[in-house]
Amino acid sequence: MNAKITRRRLAAAALGSAAVVRVTGAQATVPPEDINGAAKQQVRKHSETLAKFDLPMSTEPAFQFKA
Amino acid sequence: MAAFTDDIFFATIPELNAKLKAREFLAVELVRAFAQRLEQLGPRYNALALPLTASAIRRAKLVDKELKRDRTRGMLQGIPFGAKDLLSTAGEPTTWGARPYADQVFDYDAAVLQKLDKTGAVLIGKLAMVELAGGGGYNIAGASMFGPGLNPWDHTRWSGGSSSGSGSAVAAGLVPFAIGSETSGSILTPAAFCGITGLRPTYGLVSRNGAMALSWTMDKLGPMCHSAEDCGMVLEVIAGADATDPGSARKSFYYTPQYYRQPKDIRIGYAPVDFTERVDPSARPAFEQALAVIRETGAQLIETRLPDLPYGTLTSTIIVAEACSIFEPLISSGKVDQLADPKQIAGLKAGLEISAQDYLKAMRIRTIVQQKIRRLFADVDVLLAPTRMGPAPKVSEPLDHRATESPAPKDPGLSALIPAGNLAGIPAISLPCGFAGGLPVAIQLAGPAFSENVLLAIGKEFQTRTDWHRKRPKLA
Repeated sequence: MNAKITRRRLAAAALGSAAVVRVTGAQATVPPEDINGAAKQQVRKHSETLAKFDLPMSTEPAFQFKA
Repeated sequence: MAAFTDDIFFATIPELNAKLKAREFLAVELVRAFAQRLEQLGPRYNALALPLTASAIRRAKLVDKELKRDRTRGMLQGIPFGAKDLLSTAGEPTTWGARPYADQVFDYDAAVLQKLDKTGAVLIGKLAMVELAGGGGYNIAGASMFGPGLNPWDHTRWSGGSSSGSGSAVAAGLVPFAIGSETSGSILTPAAFCGITGLRPTYGLVSRNGAMALSWTMDKLGPMCHSAEDCGMVLEVIAGADATDPGSARKSFYYTPQYYRQPKDIRIGYAPVDFTERVDPSARPAFEQALAVIRETGAQLIETRLPDLPYGTLTSTIIVAEACSIFEPLISSGKVDQLADPKQIAGLKAGLEISAQDYLKAMRIRTIVQQKIRRLFADVDVLLAPTRMGPAPKVSEPLDHRATESPAPKDPGLSALIPAGNLAGIPAISLPCGFAGGLPVAIQLAGPAFSENVLLAIGKEFQTRTDWHRKRPKLA
């Protein structure tokens, strides 16, 4: 098998990966399942924070969206 | 044809209006010059979503005919502007900054664009934005089908979001003003990072008809300009009742700086920690100087702090829950995977798991937020804090990079003013107040609902005493 890589292909590959790193930054290296897991974890964390907050039973949801 | 220099490209609305009235140039010349500049330089900052040069020139010719007959329509007549690409324009693509909507075309103009058109302002282009205005939560500057918003003050820095193109286009003198939107920080942040003046109006003051919905209960549209005075003039045009927007406050707005109270009669609440420990050390001198200028106006500075409430949890739960309902077809079809930011994709998918119980609990706590913020304004007229705690982050770094680096001070001060203010639906203005490492930083003022004139008056006073809003980036 001929595994020879032309300089043009090499340059294209290098440019491509550089662009990904530039645009997506650190997340490019994070596996998708970790990102999904972190997002679900965040929802759970918010849920726990909300559950801990004591409210009078009489408090209605905001129906006016300005103070 | 008149020669257009930087003095024109960075002029304020009254300055351009005076030159149009004096016939120093025609509206069509002004519009053509700005449109060419936007087309030429906009891509440099990933600021341009869609040029509308041909239609703008046609519209400007009509404005000239009116001006020739002395038929005047106000300060914005003949002034070019740009609009965030979440506002629909009839027959043209409106992408919401997101690849799945790249070919989306509406058959009507957004209400704000209709109002601006009626007054003779000329739309010269749609401006880039963070995809879906950041719905789901984004963590990279490149979260946009247009690429990362680049800051005219430094190309390696972010322009801020989600109104990225609106911020950088005004800062680079590509448009005299732009329309942005804010759900939680999307006008104030790019205004601060790009060194321009941005106004987030009271919830419901500006119709959102024809604007992408991210969160029905928190979305606002507002002006991004070179000065507080410009923001007042644009707001006067775009504000007003609209039966087609269920959130409309059914109120008009008249910019009346001549009637505002003297600065010495205004009580400004602030937290010293926000201007010392909490801010980026490089930005501290600028913020301290800004505080000194506010003090010089004679305003009474009163120490205060926000009530201790889970603002971040509330904004995230409410915005994501509403966004997931709005974009449910996008998420369930799998097209959400076409978005640029993996975190945003994951955030939208996970958001479907937010329970009704949690959403309602967040909305009930929001009632408490509103009550407490209202009470806060019994003791002060406005709140003052840094808009962001430092200059724009690097494009190459995750946006939460700084947050994970520095330990937060114990005293929260007013650091949560952006989420708190958006939950409460109150107005705020961001004013450039100096530089840190060559990058702009800004202060924000927030007031009770419909206190825009007070904020604009203080902003105008601040900008009379400083010239940070007149600084121009050196365009490479």
